[in-house]
Amino acid sequence: MLLYEFEGKKLFKDCGIQVPESQLLESESQRVRVKLPLVFKAQVLSGKRADSGGIVVVKGKGESVKGEVKKLFSTKINGERVEKVLVEEAIDWEKEYYLSFSYSTETRGPVLTFGEGGTGVEGKGVKTYPVDFSVLPKELVETAQKLWQVFTKYDCELAEINPLVIDKAGKVWALDSKVILDDDADFRRDVKFPQRNLFGRAPTQREIEARIIDEGDHRGTAGSVYWDLPGDIAVIAAGGGGSIVNMDALLNLGGKPANYTEHSGNPPREKLKKLTKIILSKPGLKGCWFVGGTANFTDIYETLMGFVEGLREIKPKPTYPIVIRRGGPRDKEAFEELKDIGKKEGFDFHIYGRETPMTSTAKIMKELAYGNISN
Amino acid sequence: MAILVTEKTKVLIQGITGKEGSKVALQMKNYGTKVLAGVTPGKGGQEIHGVPVYNTVAEALENHPGINTSFVAVPNFAAFGAIKESIDNKIPLINILTEHIPIQDTAKAIALARKKNVRIIGPSSIGIISPGIGKVGSIGGDDPRGVYSKGSVGVISKSGGMASEVSWILTKNNIGQSTVIGIGGDILVGSSFADLMEDFEKDDATKALVLFGEIGGTYEEEAAEFIKRGKFSKPVVAFVSGLFAETLPQGTKLGHAGAIIYGEKGSYKSKIKSLESAGAIIAKTPDEIPNLLK
Repeated sequence: MLLYEFEGKKLFKDCGIQVPESQLLESESQRVRVKLPLVFKAQVLSGKRADSGGIVVVKGKGESVKGEVKKLFSTKINGERVEKVLVEEAIDWEKEYYLSFSYSTETRGPVLTFGEGGTGVEGKGVKTYPVDFSVLPKELVETAQKLWQVFTKYDCELAEINPLVIDKAGKVWALDSKVILDDDADFRRDVKFPQRNLFGRAPTQREIEARIIDEGDHRGTAGSVYWDLPGDIAVIAAGGGGSIVNMDALLNLGGKPANYTEHSGNPPREKLKKLTKIILSKPGLKGCWFVGGTANFTDIYETLMGFVEGLREIKPKPTYPIVIRRGGPRDKEAFEELKDIGKKEGFDFHIYGRETPMTSTAKIMKELAYGNISN
Repeated sequence: MAILVTEKTKVLIQGITGKEGSKVALQMKNYGTKVLAGVTPGKGGQEIHGVPVYNTVAEALENHPGINTSFVAVPNFAAFGAIKESIDNKIPLINILTEHIPIQDTAKAIALARKKNVRIIGPSSIGIISPGIGKVGSIGGDDPRGVYSKGSVGVISKSGGMASEVSWILTKNNIGQSTVIGIGGDILVGSSFADLMEDFEKDDATKALVLFGEIGGTYEEEAAEFIKRGKFSKPVVAFVSGLFAETLPQGTKLGHAGAIIYGEKGSYKSKIKSLESAGAIIAKTPDEIPNLLK
């Protein structure tokens, strides 16, 4: 989970890193208590905030504090609405640096990245090292140790200070924070942060419902990754890897997926039923693609029957084409029954097994959904 | 021969009394893999599918000194402790099925394993299979025979499902596999493509290699570099997925933790470019792979 600046700074402060005096504004009508000169900083998750007008410095009394706050709250930064503004005392600094801890796939361990300069780090002599505090200027070692504490104590994937500055008196300040928490360590982290959405919008009802299917039931996974997309082909994809392969294939052909989701690890039929109901509740669908590779151990009969159980509850009854491609344990049994169900209950099933290339069913789906128009 | 899983493989299962552990124990036995012992703290003395259970790895090793491979199927919060126990006892090969292990724990485990010269495959690994010889992990499920067949093509895949799909495509086209390995889709993995290519290079039974990669991280680029430096001389066919993921906002999490993009690093383009320039043949769909191997 990517944290907002003010959330990251709370963790910094907690480990003794010096951050400017501040106040968090949640509406434009709140009175600003931080003394001039000050900085207003829009709290958004997208990068390049300064370039998009998200940071405003107010120095003298002549400038309108209220006007700036109002303006910031009505700004959209890279499509993201500003809901909170952090007000900070302005720090008069002399030197600025970049400092972070993260994990590297090259060394397959934690690394320290350090260099001179603030925003626009690339190409400013910023270098990555194994975690070794002796590469740092003496005056920064203590802050770096504290940042390392943030990184390890809170199970971060990234803990970054940019810029890290030194003022005239030699004091070290963290002027910004970028922290990414490792979601896999949520179970042992004692601080919790509210859910957020990277798409710059609140999560949809379907996203909320899909992501709780797995709660309290560890048998396989279904829907814990779910994103609504602007298209009209519902996709019920299997496998963390295969799902992406199939999405690539559909997009390449000009197909427009209505959602992205995965199920894997042999989830029980109830989970597939719930997930199917959520996905197919979307209005305006032109097709449904149930697709996956040749599973190692996911029971194809159970997952497909879960799909059918969900399908039966969709009102009005779907008349759009439903393309199914799957392989793995009990697949033949599942297909026999599906053919029967399709005939008896009037679903437009197009069923393919492991002998049909997985990604080739993307073309079949697209053509059935949109008509036989080549792109 | 094959790599990692051979006739000499003798397995210990950590977490054998759990749902996954016991299921995989039976699968491995049915496929002819020698499963000598299991460990679950506090459950020593039991038997699971005829496999004796011990409280600690040390105890299992005392009774079965032949153990040379550990299969880890414990919950994520207990994974580091379990892996460390096997490393401390110098079991040379550890295959980790467990998903969602905190990255900090994985990093610590990898560092420890390096020190003790222990090899880790995973986390989030579907397993390792040398068709006709044996398997470690849930790869192939109850009956690997329909999908995996003995032959001379090695397969390394970040995705477990795609390891199976690719092997099936090969088998369908009468191309057997020497060893198929799921390295897992996490950000940090114990063994990368290049690490395993070193073994495949030495393996006489392997004549060509299929890599199944994904956006995110640098393991595909590292594999390309490995080929460029002349360390891998056999033909390589590579497939990289994830163009779709690049259409999502940066940092969007998908099922594989490693399939995540920040900035330019780890992009589809970067991976394809480096693999192509190293001389690997790029498959645009998984079904092209058999033809490209010919």
